Parts: sequence; structure tokens; C-alpha cells
Amino acid sequence: MKSAKWENIFKGWDHSESKTVVTLKQVPVFKDFSNKEFIELEKLIHLRQYNTGDFIFKNRAPGEGMYIIMQGSVKITIGTRNNNENILAELEEGDFFGELALFDDEPRSANAIATKDSQLLGFFTQDLMGLQERNPVLGQKILFNLGGVLGERLRGTNSLLINSQSTDKG
Amino acid sequence: MEKKQTNYLQLIYRLAIGLIALWFMSIIWPYISDVVLMLVFAFLFTTVLLSSVDALERKIGHRGLSVLTVVTILIGGIGIFIGSFISQISQQAAEFSNRIDKDTLTQEFKAIGENLTNSMPEFLQNIISSNDDMAGKLSDLINTIISSLASMASAVGNFMFIAAMVFIFTIILLAEYHLFRKSLVNIIPNKYFELGLKLIYNIEKSVSSYLRGQFLSAASVAAMSIAGLLLLNLFGANLTLTFFIGIIAGLANLIPLVGPFVGMVPAILIAFMNNLGNDIALTHTLFGVIPSPFFILDIVLMFLIVQQIEGNLITPTLVGKSVGLHPMIVMIALLIGGTILGPLGMLFAVPAAGVLKVILSEIAFVRKNAHLL
Repeated sequence: MKSAKWENIFKGWDHSESKTVVTLKQVPVFKDFSNKEFIELEKLIHLRQYNTGDFIFKNRAPGEGMYIIMQGSVKITIGTRNNNENILAELEEGDFFGELALFDDEPRSANAIATKDSQLLGFFTQDLMGLQERNPVLGQKILFNLGGVLGERLRGTNSLLINSQSTDKG
Repeated sequence: MEKKQTNYLQLIYRLAIGLIALWFMSIIWPYISDVVLMLVFAFLFTTVLLSSVDALERKIGHRGLSVLTVVTILIGGIGIFIGSFISQISQQAAEFSNRIDKDTLTQEFKAIGENLTNSMPEFLQNIISSNDDMAGKLSDLINTIISSLASMASAVGNFMFIAAMVFIFTIILLAEYHLFRKSLVNIIPNKYFELGLKLIYNIEKSVSSYLRGQFLSAASVAAMSIAGLLLLNLFGANLTLTFFIGIIAGLANLIPLVGPFVGMVPAILIAFMNNLGNDIALTHTLFGVIPSPFFILDIVLMFLIVQQIEGNLITPTLVGKSVGLHPMIVMIALLIGGTILGPLGMLFAVPAAGVLKVILSEIAFVRKNAHLL
């Protein structure tokens, strides 16, 4: 119905959510965000494309932030691809990884490799710092949620440890 | 062996590409130099103003409004400074010409001229008298004045246009800064992505701290100079326009080597103009020992003290690790800046060279750590 000219004039009037926002809404780090806050956040998110087999990051490389899988899949490994590869996790759409790099300057502790052609959303330390400067309320919300996510992961690790110890004893 | 040959070929190929690029740049440079310079200035202003805009955005929660407020305050400040500077200086000049008895002054200058002519060898005196065509000289003088006024008007017009464009670019860059940076980050290839990201953030941080350091040291020199001039006034130096002289000294201080001396000139001129015909000022002595007519030595000493405090106390503590540039590089940068843009170019040449150095050292760091890619 709309011609190209009209489409151009009405550009931006369409309030339907972008694919980025839809993906971000699945991530617990951004839970309880208002639509306005998602729009603000979208400005900071970097969309990256990776082919199958591409490294997203390598073990011991400097880490700058976290990635969210919008499309495709990613495996987290230790060791090189050919010899002693040890897969730690296989992640699908909506999953996220690398969030520890948002807090420390330590190098990456594992490799991340795309196992399908993938689209990832990157969220990086400096952008979080910048957001904290300009919009502290939003920045704190993200930091608080990140704390929650890390706590949950720590609890998971603890229960795994307890389980493995009780199995050893048994 | 074959590999070595390929390397040579690759080197020659790269060299040829580089030379062609240089040749192409030399052809198009005259057409794009103005725009490039405008963008460089806009980038420098953006870097200096970014933190204020971000801080204001934090308070009022609206990016566009914060950019508009900061830029309006800046333009207003510059406008008020230039406007009041021009009005005060013309007032000063009017007072000066009123105070000086024109006829006496003309006679004095005439007497000095005559003495000079008399002391010359005879053949030179003849040349001077034979060329004494007053009417011709007068019309030449008028022509020169009119042509220089016309060229000055066009230069002012050109400057105003460039300034307006720089402000427009600055507003756009400030408003869209984070989007602009995001699109810059998006073009980094996957292999270099996180390292490239780190490089961009480090450059951004170093450049902004360097520029802020320069700004702080200029502001401290301005403040100390104003205080020093007011102090000299307590001892009867009779200096006016102290505020403007201080700001000029602060700005001039950004130009290394020559800047500090540029800052002294207006103060000495004002001291001379205000105290002409004042016997006490003429016979003034520094510390009661060294003769310092018109307080000239006092002023020089005051500026020297200000520079020492700034260079040895304020800059090391406020700015910290500065971007050290070799004096040779500083001089080359000054010459290039001066050739391209005149005094304004000299003002920005050294910060621009400093920024370039920061960028190059960051790139060198990344190259050193390239094995992690």
C-alpha cells in the first residue's frame, strides 16, 4: 500500500519491536526494563555476524564484554580445535556468555566458537561505564541484574560441587 | 626462496599502492583540506565538551537538550568575550589617543626622524629628499589601506564561515557521538574485534585526558596571570584589561616555546600605553635596584614565575603523565599548523600532534600483542 516515498515519511512511526529488543527481553540481565529503557540499551548494543567455525574470542585474549546469541549457536571450549578440545557448554538462541569480562580485566578463560552462521549482540564494559555516567539508574539496574545472574551461577556451581562430593563419598 | 620473492613482490605492491594514494591525496587535498580541518576541529571540540554534555544528560535526561545547552553556553561565552574585548580595547585606544597630545607627539616623532636623517650619510639624505613626493605617497597609502581592509573583511568572512561549520559539525558529533562510535566499531573485522574495541576506547580516553589537561593548564595560567597582574596593580603598575590579558596568556600558553612570550606582549603594551608620560612609572625600579621603566621587568618576571609554577607544580599534579613530544616535533608541528591556518593553526598544531602520538602509541601496543588474535 505504502509507496517508497510514503514509507520514508512514515519511517520511525512503526512502534513494533526490533529483533534486537525481542532478543534482549529474553536475557535475565535486562529483566524488568521498560520499553524506553530497551530503546536506550539498543543504542549501545553491537550486532556482529559470525560464520560457522569463526572464533568469537580466544582463550587468554583480552576480554571486553558479554555476547547474547540472537541467531545461531556457539560452543565454549578449552584447548585447540584439532587436538584436545574440551567443550564446556553449547549455547543456543537467547543464551549469553562472557559476562565476567564486564567486571574484571582478566583475559578470557575459554574459547567461544560459532557452530552455525550466527548473529550475536555484544554488550561491552566501556559502554556499560558510559551508561553508568549518563543514566545511572539504568546502569545500576543492569549491574544489579548481573549480580543476580552471577549469584545464580555460583549457586549452580556449588550444588554441582556438593553433588560430586556426595557421589564420591557414596 | 619463493616465499622471499613473494614478500618482495608484496612490498613493492604495497609501496606502489602507498605512492598512488599519496599522489591522489596531493591532487585532491586543496579541495578537501578545509573540510578535513573543520572535522578535526569539530572532533577536538567534541572530545573536550563530551564529558560536560554527558554530565548534563545525566541531570536532565535528554541528550539533544544537553548538547544545545552546552553549545549555547560556549558560543555565548566566546561571543561575550570577543564583544567585550573589542569594546574595551577600542575604549582603551580612545583614552590613549585622548591622553596623548597629538601635536607634541607628531613633533617628537618628526624630531626623531630628522635626527635620524641627519645622522645618515649625505648620499642617503639626497635619495630621501629627492623621493619626497607627498601626494603620491599619500595616495599609495590610501590604496594599501583599502586593499588590506578588503582582504581583512574577506578573511573575517571566511573565518566566520569555518567557525559556523565547525560548530554545526560539533553539535552533530556531540548529539550522535555514541551512535557514531558504534558505527565505527561495527566496521572492525571479527578477528580484531575485541582488540579494536579496546584500541578505540583507549584512544578516546587518552585523547580526552590530554585535551582536558591542556585546558586545565591554560585555565591555571590564565587565573594566575590575572592574579599576578592585579598584584602588580597594587604596586602602581596601572594595568587595565587584566582579565583579557590573562585569558590571552592562558590560550597562548597552549603553544609551546613561543606561547609564553606571546602572553607577555599585550601586558607590556598596555603598561607602556597606560604609563606613557608618567614619571614615577618611567623611573620605577624592580626591588628598588634594577631599573624597570613602565614595570616591564616586573611583568616579565611575573609571567616567568607563573610559567614555572604551571610547568613544575600544576601540570605535573593535575595532568599527570603528559604526552611528551620531542621539541623538534613540536617545532615541525608549529610550522605546519602556522602555514596551514596561521596563528589559530599554531594553537591547535601541538594538541593535534599529541593526539596523533597517542593514536600511534596505542596502535603500536596492539601490534605488539597481535599474537593473541
